Amino acid sequence: MRASIVFAVVAVLVVSSPRATGAQDRGAQRPAAPAGAYAPARTSDGQPDIQGVWNPIGTFYNIQDLEFQARYQNFRDDPSRRGKSLIIDPPDGKIPYQPWALAKSNEVLQHHADPTPQYLDPNARCFMQGVPRHLNNREFEIFQPPGYVVVFNMAHHTYRSIPLNGGPHIPDRIKLWMGDSRGRWEGNSLVVDVTNNNDQPWLDVVGSFHSDAMRVTERFVPINADTIEYTAVITDPKVYTRPWTLKLTFTRNKDYGSELYEEACLEGNEQTLELMLTRPRQ
Amino acid sequence: MRLRLIGIVVSVVAITAFARPVSGQALPRTADGKPDLSGIWQAVNTANWNILAHTAEKDIPAGLGVVEGDEIPYQPWAAAKQKENFTNRATADPESKCFLPGVPRIMYMPYPFQIFQTPAHIAMTFEYVHAVRRIFMNSPHPEGEVEWYMGDSRGHWEGDTLVVDVVDFTDQTWLDRSGNFHSASLHVIERYTPVSANHVNYEVTIEDPKVFTRPWKMSMPLYRRLDKGMRILENECYAFGFEHTWLKPPQ
Repeated sequence: MRASIVFAVVAVLVVSSPRATGAQDRGAQRPAAPAGAYAPARTSDGQPDIQGVWNPIGTFYNIQDLEFQARYQNFRDDPSRRGKSLIIDPPDGKIPYQPWALAKSNEVLQHHADPTPQYLDPNARCFMQGVPRHLNNREFEIFQPPGYVVVFNMAHHTYRSIPLNGGPHIPDRIKLWMGDSRGRWEGNSLVVDVTNNNDQPWLDVVGSFHSDAMRVTERFVPINADTIEYTAVITDPKVYTRPWTLKLTFTRNKDYGSELYEEACLEGNEQTLELMLTRPRQ
Repeated sequence: MRLRLIGIVVSVVAITAFARPVSGQALPRTADGKPDLSGIWQAVNTANWNILAHTAEKDIPAGLGVVEGDEIPYQPWAAAKQKENFTNRATADPESKCFLPGVPRIMYMPYPFQIFQTPAHIAMTFEYVHAVRRIFMNSPHPEGEVEWYMGDSRGHWEGDTLVVDVVDFTDQTWLDRSGNFHSASLHVIERYTPVSANHVNYEVTIEDPKVFTRPWKMSMPLYRRLDKGMRILENECYAFGFEHTWLKPPQ
């Protein structure tokens, strides 16, 4: 009798698991990690598992000059952890602006500490932070349901979904605050191509900017269980003279457990925002 | 041997019957055997204008309403408050300020949303103001005083029905554009029952002893968006009109 029950259970499992074959196929296609490299565990659909809550090491104040913030705030920077700029290419750590764009960016830099609305960081208005800045703010969570990588930001209740199905980008006519992301795993590295960005988010507080022609190629490389190295290659022929590369390091945040909180931004700042936005232009 | 075969046949028939919804089309299921709700969904009704039955007005489509019995059991003071809200709705409706719309209103606003499903956690991401719902499965609500626009959602499965218990709300959200409202004591119980691969019956029980005389219910279908290449776009309501325009490249 026991044997028959076992047999029946096995039969039922086979009948009710039409995906078993597919899972094995995916497993067979998994690329082997290079010897010595960190190999994360796998999710149920075979993705390298980088789920959890993460924090960037860095500052979104001035991505070209990490000591800049100390001039305006009681900010204890630690250049030994970050270097002097988040930009690793070009080697001088500066955004390769076209001359007109450098002039625009400098204009914001000069006014950023006492901004009228046109010099106000869109992030301060609770607008979406865009790519890559939403990864360079505070804690964010990576969630990997089957076929996707989803990033949740606590600040501004932002999210960004990255489909892994190889589908095409949306029509170029559509421009989005958070862009259109398409991802794929290359070994244990997540590579994401981001298009359809609008020209609204800034890359930092002091007006580092891009146009709606920006395209970002990101690489998330887990180097151990608690660290992800992230690079974003940013191209924008309307604003820059050449592609440039931003580098961030994400460390695992163990304070929040598995649940982030709701952080309504606009809702809590209505009066402050009204004051900011109705302030007369100089 | 005969007994064994009967056992197999009975088991398989039972599973097959369990897996087939009324329409005869098999429900998609996850690896752990639950109905797979993953995908992009949207309500197709006029509840965001008015959850009760209503005739058409300029720019407002008519609707049969989604409230069971077409009656909301307000306490007398609350019925008066709803009328006041209705009068002031153009500016008093939290939607007019682009605030997070709360639950259940976000579920029947005229924008799509996506469900991501794992055994321990179901996430819903909405096109409207990038709203997010996180439904943690088989776990308790947090302790302490919590007031969130979207509430705190905890889910479990009852057969093929996803049941979600939502508490910890603010009193800052409404149920529609017609001034129907609740207090921070709102308790929402949602039941998502798949009827076919492409539609789910969504039933909501509303409890709020500070505002209503008894619990009451809404129900409506949620439909899978089958549009080619369908994906969630953006509706950053609060940014409209405040976009900066001065960083344009020279023409």
